[in-house]
Amino acid sequence: MTDTHVAAHRQAAAPPPDAPRHTALARAALLLLRGRTLVVLVLLVIIFSSISSEYLTQSNLILMTKHVAINAILAIGVTFVILTGGIDLSVGSIAGLASMVSGGLLFKGLNVPGGTIFFSVAVVILIGIVVGALVGAVNGLLITRFRVAPFIATLGMLYVARGAAQLHSDGGTYPDLAGTEARGNTGFGFIGVDSILGIPVAVWIMVMVAAAAVLVTTKTPFGKRIFAVGGNERAAVLSGIRVNRIKISVYVISGACAALAGLLLTSELGAAYPDTATTYELNAIAAAVLGGTALSGGRGTIIGTVMGAFVIGFLSDGLVLVGVSTFWQSVVKGAVIVFAVITEQAQQRLQSTLTRRTA
Amino acid sequence: MRYLPSRRAFLAVGAASVLALSACGGSDDSSSSSSSGSSAAPAASKLIVIITPSPDNVFFKAEQEAADAQAKKLGYETLVLSHDDDPTKQSQQFDTAISRKAAAIILDNAGADASVTAIQRAKDAQIPTFLIDREINKTGVAVAQIVSNNAQGAGLGGQEFAKLMGGKGEYAELTGKPTDTNAGVRSKGYHGVLDQYPDLKMVAQQSANWDQAEALQKTQTILQAHPNIKGIIAGNDTMALGAYAAVQASNKKDIIVTGFDGSPDVVSSILKKGIKATVLQPASKIAEMAVDQADAYIKNGKADQPEKQSIDCVLVNPDNAGTVKNFAVAGS
Repeated sequence: MTDTHVAAHRQAAAPPPDAPRHTALARAALLLLRGRTLVVLVLLVIIFSSISSEYLTQSNLILMTKHVAINAILAIGVTFVILTGGIDLSVGSIAGLASMVSGGLLFKGLNVPGGTIFFSVAVVILIGIVVGALVGAVNGLLITRFRVAPFIATLGMLYVARGAAQLHSDGGTYPDLAGTEARGNTGFGFIGVDSILGIPVAVWIMVMVAAAAVLVTTKTPFGKRIFAVGGNERAAVLSGIRVNRIKISVYVISGACAALAGLLLTSELGAAYPDTATTYELNAIAAAVLGGTALSGGRGTIIGTVMGAFVIGFLSDGLVLVGVSTFWQSVVKGAVIVFAVITEQAQQRLQSTLTRRTA
Repeated sequence: MRYLPSRRAFLAVGAASVLALSACGGSDDSSSSSSSGSSAAPAASKLIVIITPSPDNVFFKAEQEAADAQAKKLGYETLVLSHDDDPTKQSQQFDTAISRKAAAIILDNAGADASVTAIQRAKDAQIPTFLIDREINKTGVAVAQIVSNNAQGAGLGGQEFAKLMGGKGEYAELTGKPTDTNAGVRSKGYHGVLDQYPDLKMVAQQSANWDQAEALQKTQTILQAHPNIKGIIAGNDTMALGAYAAVQASNKKDIIVTGFDGSPDVVSSILKKGIKATVLQPASKIAEMAVDQADAYIKNGKADQPEKQSIDCVLVNPDNAGTVKNFAVAGS
């Protein structure tokens, strides 16, 4: 201990006059790196608004935030899973399945012996979310009870849930989800189309989901256990945490969030089709990673993930707005994600250097 | 996972393969639902194998069902398969057809180049293949290649769009998946007409990858950037539906939207004065023609039509939308 202490002192003392300034510079750099998602976001806004005067208008900001909402909700769910050291590749398919189940209930009702039942929109939405949570629970059980690696279990579910969504309508689209007064199931457009105080309902929902997730991860014992499981699973087991229960819970949360995102998308579209949200899992994982969530688990924040979703959304919409071709959109998006991970590594290195110096 | 001992890892792999199998089982259920059952084909085969892309898309579903119905009407057994646009899967399905000694194969193929060897393999095994909807890049391998004329159809769609626009104003175009030949052919067909109007100005062109939700979001953003847009021309019907949802949610509900395919959802939207027009590809008719020609080939041992056949598309607008049923206009 004393040896390293002395060594650290020597190292820091080697160029005596510059040392404090170096540390100060390093600290400033660290601060910048910590806030890199915000920095990137601000840069994006500056670049795009200098190209197009339409970018920084109130209506466009609201629209882009609405587009962000769907990915942000998916990504918040996925963040819970990644924090435990797992991964959830099935969220896009779960969104699609929830969309088809709810769309089917609105469009053709539920066939029971003796007739067809139509549920109110609130019940339909609830059923959709429960379906998502149940699929998430199956993921969790596969991973804990049957010891399937999360990557494989959720990859399997990616196919199973998508297939189930296609089977639900035999591949077809439920084209009209407006409902009728007679059936008492009108108003599905509320969550995806309507606004409250000029802000889309979908954005309000994102804010509520994010606030709840921040509270859960930072203020509750459950949240601390999630980090414990992801940080060091063995230590978590030894300290008496019911690791399996935590793991199942995070997949349930992820499934429910995915279902909610699918319903928002379906509500806005006014139609449910089996391919809804195909490959959205990748955008969600990218948002989490961009926001500083470590894929190895144990490190990350909900706010970071939401910021990550904003970066991806503001970037994609900006590229469309200024008329960049689809090919370049993919290249730019991929490059930004890789760049974000590189800066994260730089942050880790700098942070450990600084900790050593001040120790 | 690093913390799993090898025995557990083994278990994990085992469970995963079970899962994967069940996943395959799920999709097979949907793709071979109209299979003729497991009875072995008789020696003089009366089996027609029908292979198409995923019936997710109503278009492929319609052609699948039309071919199946026509073959059964002519007294054949059928095996209906879906290759999900995967040439490898398609190749395996060809092996199945060959081992079951099919009398003919009706195929909407999984790739213009990637499909050639499989079709050649069937030909070597004396099984004729009749292509529908999509061509391959080689002649003399398949007996027939019956496709709808996308260029002619896009010309019709472009003319109708120009007419609806009154020959002037700003418009946006949503194109299909860039790797799909038809996306390019349709876009070129549209522009062959639209570019002749000096007052028609395309202010945005984006690919929405044939996807409804992507079309919705991209249209919303395009409308932000270009508030004066009067019309949106889409490369297929799912994108037209997405664009129409965006238009409905905006405060400019009179924006003109047109599509391409003639899907039932768009036809009903046209009847409700929503989407203005689409171009119908005669999917059912093409599938039936292919089965008829296969039947003639089986009976006479030679083709009664030239290999390359191009079937014209039909414009659908409020005037004739009421007569459209299952990818066919009455009387065409």
